Amino acid sequence: MNHWLNHHAQAFKLVLTRMRQNTLSSLLISLVIGVAMCIPALFYVGVDNLSTLTHHMQNDNEISLFLKLDVSSENIEQIEQLLSKHPNIQKHRLVTKEEAWQQLQAKSDTNPAIQELSKNPLPDAFFIQANKVEPEALDSLRLEMQAIEGVDQAVFNADWTKRLAVLLALGEKIIYFVAALLAIALLVIIGNTVRMQILTQKDEIEVSKLIGATNSFIRMPFLYAGVLYGAFGALFAIVMMASIIMIFNHSVAQLSDLYSSDFRLTIFDSKLFLSMTGIAIFIGWLGSYIAVNRAISAMKID
Amino acid sequence: MIQFDHVTKRYPGSNEALKNVSLNIEAGEFVFVTGHSGAGKSTLLKLIAAIERPTGGTVLIANQNISKLKSNAIPYMRRRFGLIFQDHKLLYDRNCFENVMLPLRINGIFGTEAAKRSRAALDKVGLLHKEKAMPITLSGGEQQRLAIARAVVGRPSILIADEPTGNLDAVYAADIMSIFQAFHQVGVTVIVATHDATGISATQRRVLHINQGELHSNEVIQAADHTQNSGYPI
Ligand SMILES: Nc1ncnc2c1ncn2[C@@H]1O[C@H](COP(=O)(O)OP(=O)(O)OP(=O)(O)O)[C@@H](O)[C@H]1O
Ligand SMILES: [Mg+2]
Repeated sequence: MNHWLNHHAQAFKLVLTRMRQNTLSSLLISLVIGVAMCIPALFYVGVDNLSTLTHHMQNDNEISLFLKLDVSSENIEQIEQLLSKHPNIQKHRLVTKEEAWQQLQAKSDTNPAIQELSKNPLPDAFFIQANKVEPEALDSLRLEMQAIEGVDQAVFNADWTKRLAVLLALGEKIIYFVAALLAIALLVIIGNTVRMQILTQKDEIEVSKLIGATNSFIRMPFLYAGVLYGAFGALFAIVMMASIIMIFNHSVAQLSDLYSSDFRLTIFDSKLFLSMTGIAIFIGWLGSYIAVNRAISAMKID
Repeated sequence: MIQFDHVTKRYPGSNEALKNVSLNIEAGEFVFVTGHSGAGKSTLLKLIAAIERPTGGTVLIANQNISKLKSNAIPYMRRRFGLIFQDHKLLYDRNCFENVMLPLRINGIFGTEAAKRSRAALDKVGLLHKEKAMPITLSGGEQQRLAIARAVVGRPSILIADEPTGNLDAVYAADIMSIFQAFHQVGVTVIVATHDATGISATQRRVLHINQGELHSNEVIQAADHTQNSGYPI
């Protein structure tokens, strides 16, 4: 155990010395990794924040029931009773066609098209506030309302938030693809960097193998190099992201103040940061693992 | 200790470098391998050190069949040997001390213990005062001795040297032979390849003479033969 730890400690020390000798190139490769991780992560933060935002909006979701034009007043009363008894409906409000007509005319006394309407074209309507927020529950409630005798149309007022949610889900998928492509690019970049290092250490590897070094002994420093590139790259990515989000938040604050909202982009998403670090380290490890294994078998000393 | 039984070695795309070689080297022996250039001396040593595997016959090292060793056991087999390569294979990007440290690192020996042993090995070959020097600044003989220090620092029970006195003058060659002699005296098996009999000392030595891949003699060279082969009194 102690021996094993010692081996790792030595390999780690060796890598740190080598990196110090090549500070610039180590920084550059870490920077490349950082930028490559930053891009999908930023989009992720954007989409994630918008999703929570639309979720908030759906909380005060309304269903509008437009009644048939020829509906009788008894029918309206029946519907009203039904709505007030319904367990999933928090409150409801009736706007009769006369009220709606007055409102419309009051609002649009400058609009000649409406002024010219001689007959009230508007239906009676109920505006319902559901006490459920899940889209599925709301959907079934809407269908139920639609089926009520005398109801012409039951529609969501917040339909656009649903559409946005669908778009965001699509965006999320795109981000995963972009992230996967960038991960492959990173694998290649890290693999190539490690391959170059292996080339400069070719003599040492060859001699080491000849005098009895195991493959894991030879791999170890390069794996640590890959892991460290990944870790430093993730660090870069996190710092860059935090700064970019902070800059964005300045504008977001102005925007959401207009809507009297306290919405801000979250800067420290520890779950995101942890998974970024984990992914970067894994990619670093895998890239160098592939590179060093290929190099060892290319040397054909076995 | 080292047994060859009808060993044949053919490199891909070339003729047989060794043909039907059978031999037996006991622990503690001092053996010379001689032969013309291209005879197969280096090939023989590589087979002993588990660097190459035979294409025919069996090579037994400490009763273990090299061909049947699992690839993850090969490194541990190689650590039994101290190898001095025909082309040194010194690492020119680090100083003498670090060159000698390499086998210890591979063996998992670190810290002050490793430093102590490295200095002791450098001391044995008379290079302690050059520990901070880069190998490229050493003379040919000094580089050869550095290679010996690296070979012996792991305290191997078998020392294998491929042309250790290659381009050296007689004084240097004698110097190096006496280092091997010292190891032989403390019980180390020593196997030295050399392209002619130069440097083989006047005392009785076993010589394996290879001619075009075939083992020709497997006997003890006499002091009389030696004086014919070389004019150097050692
Ligand atoms: N890796 C290799 N691939 C192909 N052929 C090889 C290889 N190594 C050696 N040979 C061939 O095997 C034969 C024996 O080579 P070897 O190196 O054993 O000779 P040697 O006795 O050590 O010669 P020298 O005194 O010049 O070092 C030669 O014909 C050589 O061309
Ligand atoms: Mg040779």
